[in-house]
Amino acid sequence: MQQMKEVRTADQAAAEDIFFGQTVILWARWSVIVAGIVLVLWTSGTVEQLTRTIPFFLALMAMNFFLHGRFVMGSPLNRTVVIASSIVDLVMISAIVGLWPGGQDGLKSPFFVLYYPVVFAFALVLPRTIEAAYTVFAILVYTAVCFFTGTMSLGNGAEDYKQLVMRLIVMAAMGFLGNYYFRIQRDRLRRATAGGPSPLKDLQQKLGASTSAS
Amino acid sequence: MSKLKDHAGGADSATFIEAGHRSPDGNYIWDGQEWIAVRQPVARAASKGLSSWADGLDRGTSEDLFHGQTVIVWARWILIGTGLLLSFWNARDLPVLEVQLAAIITLAFGNFYLHVQLLRGRPAIDVIVYAASAADLAVITALVVVQGGFSSPVFIFYFAAALGFSVAFPTPLAAAYSVVGIATYGVICLATSPVSDEPAIFTRMLMIAAISVCGNLFARNERHRRAEAVRLHEEVLAEMQTGKAGEPDTAPVTTA
Repeated sequence: MQQMKEVRTADQAAAEDIFFGQTVILWARWSVIVAGIVLVLWTSGTVEQLTRTIPFFLALMAMNFFLHGRFVMGSPLNRTVVIASSIVDLVMISAIVGLWPGGQDGLKSPFFVLYYPVVFAFALVLPRTIEAAYTVFAILVYTAVCFFTGTMSLGNGAEDYKQLVMRLIVMAAMGFLGNYYFRIQRDRLRRATAGGPSPLKDLQQKLGASTSAS
Repeated sequence: MSKLKDHAGGADSATFIEAGHRSPDGNYIWDGQEWIAVRQPVARAASKGLSSWADGLDRGTSEDLFHGQTVIVWARWILIGTGLLLSFWNARDLPVLEVQLAAIITLAFGNFYLHVQLLRGRPAIDVIVYAASAADLAVITALVVVQGGFSSPVFIFYFAAALGFSVAFPTPLAAAYSVVGIATYGVICLATSPVSDEPAIFTRMLMIAAISVCGNLFARNERHRRAEAVRLHEEVLAEMQTGKAGEPDTAPVTTA
């Protein structure tokens, strides 16, 4: 097999990462929006409660309409806007977790699961440094919301802290595993583009060579 | 064994082998006059180059499973580590702790085997990987049931499990695992919670599904990109060989 340089430049590859990854982020955000709107309509007991909570999701929906529309029309957004919109996601989810009425805020909020698809989708798109910063930001924001809402207590054998730690570990795992897979795929694509063997075949050949040498 | 010569004739070798004139180590055959080295059947060279990428790009192959498997293995280590940490944190109920530790240790042994296979470049048989992921779901479900169903905080481990199989498995299988996991958890929750908690159950189930969809969507897109990269590469090579090399079409491909 004749070897050659990659037919894509690094910039083109990065632009494609954003292009393809944007779909995942968009769909992750739609899932958050659908979950939120259904929940609001389902759980609201009063008009005031409904009008206080639905705007969070309407704002996210408006943003995602714009971003998805741009994507479908063939003019996806650049990396900066993708990062900015993902930070808005975190801020909105944190606001939902921190400001939800009815005593279901902070650690007691069932909405903390909304962080997971957002963090995971982001990890599938951006390089390691940015992804790590984003995941750490999500962890810090959620921790801060739990403490500032006064929902953490040392009673009951510090059970609250145990729950918080568990949730944070899974959040970090979402970021780490997502980005780990992203880097595996980057390597596979880079090798495929350059016409080299796949990493698995490469590894098997190396191991085969070392076994026969010994 | 002073006189050795190489024996290239496969048919002759077979005749000698049948006649029982092979040396004890199996490497030589006695032809009545001298020992002849038997050439071991040459294993077919491992697929190298583009063909190793092109095999079954339109579906989830074992190659995809190999790479996805590393994610599953690491997800499982995280589950095991976190599970151990949290089991000892504020442990009160002995039977519950025993069930937790037994499940976690079993998972750890299984995961160690799978990890070693990966490090040796021998991806486990597909069926074993599928079974291991089913075991993950079973263990998480068991922990959820033991801890009271809806009130159990360990349901978040479903997210890590869903992440793993969504990127590793082909779409139909990932969908099947997701549906089974989500449905099982939903039934457990509905049986162990008041009606007022149904919205929270719905949110949890929907978010697990979202993780599965996002992971599998990304994996499909990546398969599509690799197939497109191989196609581009072959086109450029063909053009180079025919002397018509031009600018390759490097525009982003469409989503799968």
